[in-house]
Amino acid sequence: MTALIKVHDLTIHYQGKCLVNKVSFSVQQGRPLTILGQTGSGKTLVAKAIMGLLPSVLEASGTVEVFGKPVMAQSRSPLWGKSITMLPQEPWHSLDPLMVNYQQVSEVYESVKGEDGEAAFNHAIDDLTHLGLKGSALKRPTELSGGMAQRLAIASATAGGANLLIADEPTKGLDSSRRDDIIQLLQRSAQGGSLLTITHDIDVAQQLGGDILVIKDGEMIEAGSAESVLTNPQAEYTKALIYAAPQYWQIEKLRKTERKAILSVTDLTIGRGKDALASGLNLTCHTGEIIGVVGDSGCGKSTFGDTLLGLLPPLKGEIKPLLANTKSHQWLKLFQDPPSSLSAHVTLQTLLNDLVKLHKLDTQKIAPLMEKLNLPESILQRSAKDVSGGELQRFSILRALLLEPVFLFADEPTSRLDPFIAKEITELLIALAREQGCALLIVSHDPALIDKCCDTVIRLDQQKHKSVA
Amino acid sequence: MWTLIKHRIFQLILVVWGVGTLTFVLMRNLPGDMAYRIAASRYGQDSVDSAAAEIVRQELGLDASWWQSYAHWLTDLVQFNLGKSLVSGLPVIDTVQHQLGHSVLLAFTGVLFASLIAIAIGVLSAFRQGALDHGFLWLSTLLRSMPVFVIGLMLILIFAVAWPILPVAGFGTWQHLVLPTLALALSLAAVSNRVVRNNTLKVIRAPFYQFAAIKGLSPTQTFIQHGIRNISVPVIAFIGIQLVTVIEGIVMIESLFSWPGIGHGLAHAIFARDIPVIQGCALMMGILFVLLNTCVDLLCHWIDPRGAQS
Repeated sequence: MTALIKVHDLTIHYQGKCLVNKVSFSVQQGRPLTILGQTGSGKTLVAKAIMGLLPSVLEASGTVEVFGKPVMAQSRSPLWGKSITMLPQEPWHSLDPLMVNYQQVSEVYESVKGEDGEAAFNHAIDDLTHLGLKGSALKRPTELSGGMAQRLAIASATAGGANLLIADEPTKGLDSSRRDDIIQLLQRSAQGGSLLTITHDIDVAQQLGGDILVIKDGEMIEAGSAESVLTNPQAEYTKALIYAAPQYWQIEKLRKTERKAILSVTDLTIGRGKDALASGLNLTCHTGEIIGVVGDSGCGKSTFGDTLLGLLPPLKGEIKPLLANTKSHQWLKLFQDPPSSLSAHVTLQTLLNDLVKLHKLDTQKIAPLMEKLNLPESILQRSAKDVSGGELQRFSILRALLLEPVFLFADEPTSRLDPFIAKEITELLIALAREQGCALLIVSHDPALIDKCCDTVIRLDQQKHKSVA
Repeated sequence: MWTLIKHRIFQLILVVWGVGTLTFVLMRNLPGDMAYRIAASRYGQDSVDSAAAEIVRQELGLDASWWQSYAHWLTDLVQFNLGKSLVSGLPVIDTVQHQLGHSVLLAFTGVLFASLIAIAIGVLSAFRQGALDHGFLWLSTLLRSMPVFVIGLMLILIFAVAWPILPVAGFGTWQHLVLPTLALALSLAAVSNRVVRNNTLKVIRAPFYQFAAIKGLSPTQTFIQHGIRNISVPVIAFIGIQLVTVIEGIVMIESLFSWPGIGHGLAHAIFARDIPVIQGCALMMGILFVLLNTCVDLLCHWIDPRGAQS
C-alpha cells in the first residue's frame, strides 16, 4: 500500500489563534480515511490545506505530501480534477446556476481530457444515465434535489480522472437512503485511488470503514481503524460523539393524564397541486404531545405539516381545531435551515423587537426564555450571518415560543447540525414544548430520532403513492 | 417569452399615447403667444409683427379650442401621420427619421465604447485588487460627478484646442464622431465599470467558481465557461437601465457638438414652439426606449432562462 496523501504536523493559525494543531495522518491507496469531528473543529481547514485552498489570511505550517512528493500549496492546482478532487459541502452552490446539468460534466471531458464536443457529450450523458440523472440532463441545478445535486457534483468532480477524493460533509441534509446512495457512489468513484471524508455523522464513518481520525478544536483526539474506534472508543470525546446519536437519547414520554385535545384530523389526503402524496391520515393532537413524521424524501412529510398549519389546502378530509380562541400566530413553523429563514441584514435584536411590537408581547418573558435556551444576551447584537447554525436555530425557537404557540411544526429542525448540537436543540425544544403545553410536530428523515422523542409516530409510505416521485 | 412581448406591445401603445398627450399639454401651457413664436422662427425675429402672427394663427388654426386640436392630433396619430413642421412645412416623419439615424449612430457607438471600457476596467479591477482598483474608483467618482457636457467640453479643450487632432464640432467624417462618442462613453462607463467590477468579484468568489477550478479547468477556461455568463446577466440588465441616461446624454452632447440628431432637433423645436416636431421627437425617443429595453430583457432571458420556468 502506498500513501497517497501524507500530512505531517499540519498547524494553522489565524491572528495568533491556533485553529489546527499538529495534525498528522496519511491516506493509503484503497483504504478510506474519515475525519470525524463536530462543527468548528477545524476539519474543513485540513481538507482545504491538502487542496491548497487555504485563504491567505491563515498561516499554515507543516508538510503535505501528495503522491509521495511534497508539494507547495500554490503549486497544487495543476493536480485538481486530474488526480485529486474535492467535493463541496453545498452542492447547489457549487454548480454553475446558469449551466445546463450535462454541460457541467461534459465541459470537464472537453477541457480537461481534450475530447471533442461529441465524445464529451456522449461521455457526460453516459455518466448521468448511470447516476439516474438522465431525465435532468437539460435542466439546471436549481431544479435538482439535494441528493441529485450531490450526485451531479460527484460526476463532474471526478470526470477529469481524479480518483483521490476529498469529500467535505458530502451527506449534509440528506435522508438516510440518499445518504447511503452517495456513500456508495463515493466508494465507486474512489476505486484505484482513495477517499478522505470529513463528517460529523457516525453512520457515514461506519459505512465507509477504513481508518478514522477524531478531531476536536483542531487537536487530534484519537486515530485508528473504523472498527476499533467506533466499537471501543478510548477518548471521552469520541464516546460523547458516538453517544450523541439519537439512538442513545433519553427523553421522557408524555403522561397521558395531563393532556387536552387541540386538533383532530380525519381521513386527510394531502398533496401539492392536484397530485395526492398521502391519504387516509387520522390523528388527534394533544397539548404537550410530540408527534413524529417519518418517511423518505418527497413522501409528503413537509406537506403534511404545512397542511395542518393551513398553509396548504387539504385535498380531502377534515382538519378541525378543538381549542377555542387560538390566534393564527399560535400555529407556527420552525424551518430546517435557519440561515436562509432569517434576514441577515439586521441584528437579531431588531428581528426580536419587530416581533414584540407586532404582537405587543411582554418583554419580561424574553430574558428567562433566553436563559433556558442557553442564549447569551450579547448574541442579539449580531446579525444572522455572524451566528452559528445551532445558535440561530435556538434563536428561532425563542421567537416561536414567545408567541405561546399551541401547535409548532418543526421541519427537520436539526438535520443540518452536528450531533451534539442536534441533541441539545431537540431536547430543549421538547422540554419547552411540554412546559408550555404546545403540541410539537417533528418531521425528520432519521427514524431513530423520531423513535426516541415522539409520543405518536406517523409513517408516510412512499410506495403507496408512486405517482408522485 | 411571448407574454413578455405582448406585455411590451401594450406598453408601447401606452407610451405613445402618454408621451404624445403630455407634450401636447405642456406645449400649450408654455407662456407667450404661440403664433408669434412660430412666426418669429419662420421669418426671423426682426421682421415679425402682429399681422404676421395673425396670418400664422389663421393658417395653422391655432385659435381652435384645445380639445379640437387634441382630437385632430389623435386621429392623425392613429393613422401614423405625425403632421408637418409648423416652421418649415416639411413632413415631421422625414425630419425625425433623418435625425434619428444620426442619434442612433451616436448612441450605438457610445454604448459600445462604454461597454468596452467598462468591461475591461471592471474585470481588471476585480482581478487586481488594491491600488489599481482604488484608482479607478476615484476616477469613476470624478467622472460621474461631472455633467456630461463638462466632460464634452474638456475633451474639446484637450483634443481640439490644445492638441488639435480632432474637429471641435460638426458632422460628416468619422473624426467628427470621435469626441461626442467618447464623451458619452466616458460618462456611461464611469458607473458601469463599477457594476462590472462588483459582479465579477461576486462571481469569482462564488463556490461554483472555485469548484470549476477543482474539476480541473484552467483559470482561463473557468473564466470563459463560468465567469462570463454569470457576470453578464446583471451587467446587461444594468446597461438597460442606463439607456435612460443615454437618451438624456445625447440631448446634451448633440447640442454641444452640433450633432444633427434628434436631441439637437428637439431642443430647437422647443425654442420654435414647433409642436408636431417636438411630439415626433419625443415619441420616437419613447418608442426607442421601450424597444431597446425589450431587447435587453429578451437577451437576459436568453442567457438566464430560470425566471420564466418557475
